[in-house]
Amino acid sequence: MAIFQTTQAHIPGVQRWFNKMTQTMFWTLLVMLVLGMFGIASEFTGFGAALAADAAVSTGVTAPEIAASDYPNIGFSSRSVVWIAAQMHLFFAAFVLAVPLFVVVIEWLGVKTNDQRYDDMAHEFMKVSMTAYSITALFGGLLAFALFVLYPHLMGYMTRVFDTQMLWYALLFFAESAILYVYYYSWGALRYGNRKWVHLSLGVALNVVGTSILFIANAWATFMMAPSGVDIATGAITGNIWEVMRGPLWNPVNLHRFIANIAFGGAVVGAYAGYKLLSAKTMGERAHYDWMGYTSNFIAVLAFLPLPFAGYWLMAEVYAYSQQMGITAMGGILAWLFIVQAVLIGTILLASNYYLWSGMSRTEGSQRYQWMIKYIAVVLVLGFLVWVTPHTIILRASEVALLGGSHHHLLGPLGIMPAKNIAVNLMLIATFLSFQLYRRSDKQVTVSWAPWGNAVLTAIYLIAVINIIFAGIYYGYFTNTVYKVGSSVTQVVSTLVVIVAGVVIDSLMFKKAKILPSQWGRVSNRSQYALFALPIAFTWLMALMGYVRSSVRTHWHVYTVVKDNSADNFIPAIGYAGNMMTIVTVLFLLCILFIFWIASLSNSKQIPPVNKAG
Amino acid sequence: MANNNSGPDKPASLLMWVVAIGASLLLFYGLDQLIMASQGLPLNLDLTPAQ
Repeated sequence: MAIFQTTQAHIPGVQRWFNKMTQTMFWTLLVMLVLGMFGIASEFTGFGAALAADAAVSTGVTAPEIAASDYPNIGFSSRSVVWIAAQMHLFFAAFVLAVPLFVVVIEWLGVKTNDQRYDDMAHEFMKVSMTAYSITALFGGLLAFALFVLYPHLMGYMTRVFDTQMLWYALLFFAESAILYVYYYSWGALRYGNRKWVHLSLGVALNVVGTSILFIANAWATFMMAPSGVDIATGAITGNIWEVMRGPLWNPVNLHRFIANIAFGGAVVGAYAGYKLLSAKTMGERAHYDWMGYTSNFIAVLAFLPLPFAGYWLMAEVYAYSQQMGITAMGGILAWLFIVQAVLIGTILLASNYYLWSGMSRTEGSQRYQWMIKYIAVVLVLGFLVWVTPHTIILRASEVALLGGSHHHLLGPLGIMPAKNIAVNLMLIATFLSFQLYRRSDKQVTVSWAPWGNAVLTAIYLIAVINIIFAGIYYGYFTNTVYKVGSSVTQVVSTLVVIVAGVVIDSLMFKKAKILPSQWGRVSNRSQYALFALPIAFTWLMALMGYVRSSVRTHWHVYTVVKDNSADNFIPAIGYAGNMMTIVTVLFLLCILFIFWIASLSNSKQIPPVNKAG
Repeated sequence: MANNNSGPDKPASLLMWVVAIGASLLLFYGLDQLIMASQGLPLNLDLTPAQ
């Protein structure tokens, strides 16, 4: 470091050049990450179409017709083996790909604010994810072996379709590992000045590679759901790799998984912070982990708020691709799982709101807003109850007679999407309000136009809520279906307007606000259990929706192209699936406990033995 | 959204709320018209479906 500084001091021109170069490198990589994200190039620039234009590929590869006897018999369900391996790999992959995304942002905040605490926290987040990285690779290896051993014909076809891309995927893993280790272990060596920008660039490069890995794996999963670039009748490859990758569901899944991973990663490190806070021995430690828990919850909630909208886009694309597939997901056997989903999402929202309300006790200034909490809780609970109301229930004849029909006259209308859309949007607005009140708790506004700012913001909240309820009831129940579906976009936009207006107005209004005293660590122990509830609910939710996403293929390995003739070529019953989901969830949480323990172990030091002789 | 500022007097306060609510109503009305029309689902002035 000293040599480095001396060299720059003697040659200011070089210093300027180095400054520019390191910062340019950082921003270039960041732009690459953003542009690469969600296949923006393919969506808006026609880049993919240009590539596909010279495609006309015909390799003679056709879809295999697999007989039941072609599947190796290992004595128990092959699907269950792949199910567990795939789900465990996805849990860990989601975690290790997400953590560096927000770690880089936190690290950058440390540079921007010159606050070392951000840097320390970012480093600690990475430490937690390091053990998870090798577990991800282990489950990835297990999954690959399981697939190739148990489904050799399918994997033979997939390998021919995706060709050398699978090798590139493996090479990206090498790049990911190399950059990850350099990024983590160079933290202390590249901590200040221009070196910090080099370190940040490494972090962004890590995310460029990680996101690429995610998008490639997504292409395989979405190809199996909605194949493209192949002839549907024969399975013959008709397009190049870009056409094969860029199926109709690729970008919706890319966006959905990208956001969901961040929410999931935030929730898991939040549980780590909760665990550390509860076991803290000093007030300093408690304060540090309280702040870490708050930041984790902030990340999880921030990423979670737009997630339902990304899910909505994905389901809209599923319906657009195949109405049958959409109905299987949301109108058939799997429809009940969306009720379970509502329970889990309700748990997430209630837990994160409760954590925010508890956190308000860190500052005396929060007393101004505490009267609003009960109303927010009412909205959340009512929204939750509407969301979990089922539409179609399997009934006996006597129950139908008691009910007065197949649907309850009052609760029946709450079982369909317009009611759910109202509920979810209001719950998201209520959650954002909790978050906003929390942010305001330790501030006292000083700008003269504050009454105007508050009036505009209150009016936006009020009219947005009215608009959401109006759109849901009027277009949902009193117009035709296309208006019902179309009006859900106005509801989403209303919620987004509240969030954007809230962030913008508060940022301007509280820019020079007086900061009231607040005390990190002064939070109830009970609130930390909300931090534990979040990753449990998120993990279960991922297992649940993974089952739905995969099951919509019904009796196809690759939908309408490669038929599944194995003993498991049916949608597993909900009870069986529930057990499988619970097994993987518990298994993952046990592994996470192991990771937390390992992360804590690295801080433990044995006291040297006393030399009695000396 | 309470704050510790004393705020404007009564008529000014009323005007402020009328302007804020009116502007918000206009904003969301315009958004509804724009979003539905952009999906090929135009609305009449009273927000009923035009098709």
